[in-house]
Amino acid sequence: MEGLISKIKSKFGAEILKKEKNQIWMKINNKDLINICNFLKENGFDFFSCLSAIDILENNIIELVYHLWSQEKKTILNIKTEISREKPEINSISKIYTASQIHEREIHELFGVNFLGNSDLSELFLEDWSGPAPFLKDFDWREYVREKFYNKENENEKGYYN
Amino acid sequence: MKTKKDTIINNSKNEYQEFLFGPAHPGSGNFSVKIKLGGEKVVLAKSDPGYLHRGFEKLMEYRNIWQNAALSDRICVFEPLAWNLLFAEAIEKLAEIDIPEKAKYVRVILIELSRIQSHLIWFGAFSSASGFDTGFKIALGYRDYILDIFSIITGGRVYPTGFICPGGLRRDLPAKIEDKILKVLDKVNEAIFYFEKEDPVFKSRTENIGVLKIDDAIRLGATGQVLRASGFLQDIRKDDPYEIYKKIDFNIPVLKQGDAYSRFKLGILEVKESIKIIKQLLDKIPNGDFLNKNIKIGMPFILPKNEAYVRNETARGEGAIYIKGDGTINPYRVKIKGPSFLHLIPVLEFLLKEAEIADIPIIYWSLNGCPADMDR
Repeated sequence: MEGLISKIKSKFGAEILKKEKNQIWMKINNKDLINICNFLKENGFDFFSCLSAIDILENNIIELVYHLWSQEKKTILNIKTEISREKPEINSISKIYTASQIHEREIHELFGVNFLGNSDLSELFLEDWSGPAPFLKDFDWREYVREKFYNKENENEKGYYN
Repeated sequence: MKTKKDTIINNSKNEYQEFLFGPAHPGSGNFSVKIKLGGEKVVLAKSDPGYLHRGFEKLMEYRNIWQNAALSDRICVFEPLAWNLLFAEAIEKLAEIDIPEKAKYVRVILIELSRIQSHLIWFGAFSSASGFDTGFKIALGYRDYILDIFSIITGGRVYPTGFICPGGLRRDLPAKIEDKILKVLDKVNEAIFYFEKEDPVFKSRTENIGVLKIDDAIRLGATGQVLRASGFLQDIRKDDPYEIYKKIDFNIPVLKQGDAYSRFKLGILEVKESIKIIKQLLDKIPNGDFLNKNIKIGMPFILPKNEAYVRNETARGEGAIYIKGDGTINPYRVKIKGPSFLHLIPVLEFLLKEAEIADIPIIYWSLNGCPADMDR
């Protein structure tokens, strides 16, 4: 495992953030994602566990964490990468890990991230949704519901505006 | 004699029909699949989730850990304790909280009981989907014995309301509960006796139906018993042990065929292993605290600026939580990965292609899916 980590470090300039029991956290440049995933799949990381997105308002970025599992090495690799909030775009890894396709579709719907090369980014949970991506930190759902579904003039619904 | 193949109406005129399996169909739960039929064969299947999307990940950003612990029950209706444990473990890893040895034992006993009752609901629903209604009644009847135990220990029959909480457990075990659990395990053995019987009708309805090959299973992200029924040995309890699974002697059953019948058979073997685990632990529960002394239940708890990723083997497969703290009492972000998210979307769509219309409920229920943990 150590050899593999040092290879990723030297080959792609990845930064090791922390090491835990059976888990390694690293940070990479978003341009290297495809190459790193290809490299990892060839080296035993054949399970795609999960994809998390975190909206970080103060840095104006969306952070993506790819969680990969290697049955052979019994290790989870958490690969972090950042994309800009203004233009949330990143290459899809669904051609390397088929299981990531559905995770990317979910993140696309809830965070508005565009995964270039993903075959299907159609709506998943939400139906006829026209508002902004609902899981972003600056989306105030209370405000949205008030504007869209309630009426200030209605006696029964006045309470929602206090 | 007419074979099964002769009886299928073929689509000679290339006419297609579209219909929905669910969400109001009694066999589907709160979930639907859009199906395109040519004759009696499925040409295209597209999962349509979202009927149970409650936005837990967003809700958790507005609540403190004690509120979230109770909320985490609702992630999966069939096995709330498993998600209780996952959330507690996520907070413990994030804030580096140690938990007492006694809590670890009780947690594993509860989780294995939860696995058994979850499998029993599954056996029931699966029997019902294959036209074997008595199986449904047997399974749900025997499941109630386990719910009684949950009611005594946690206070809730189905939902424990955050009984497994960050730092340990909310309450101590009641006195003489070990004997009661042993009696319930005998009852579970009775239920298993019924389900183990070879039923030729059930077998003919499920054998060689919905075959998932090992490569496809890995590629599509299958975990848990769906992956193991296809012949791949993977169990987080062994591979990446949590709580006290390292100390326990148990086997991981694996079957090779990958069809609906072997997924069902594997479930029975798993229940037997769970019984073995619980029996090993019952007389070994140590004395002492059940909650970390520094943790005060209900008091605001500041989450450190850190992040953690935890995975558990739930009854359905790999469940995982990613959590990030930002120095406030509410988590900054929680990501929940339910096993059914992959089983009911990519795997189900793949298996339904080219299937017969009559096999749709069989394939659907053989995956042991839970729409609640898929939609969150």
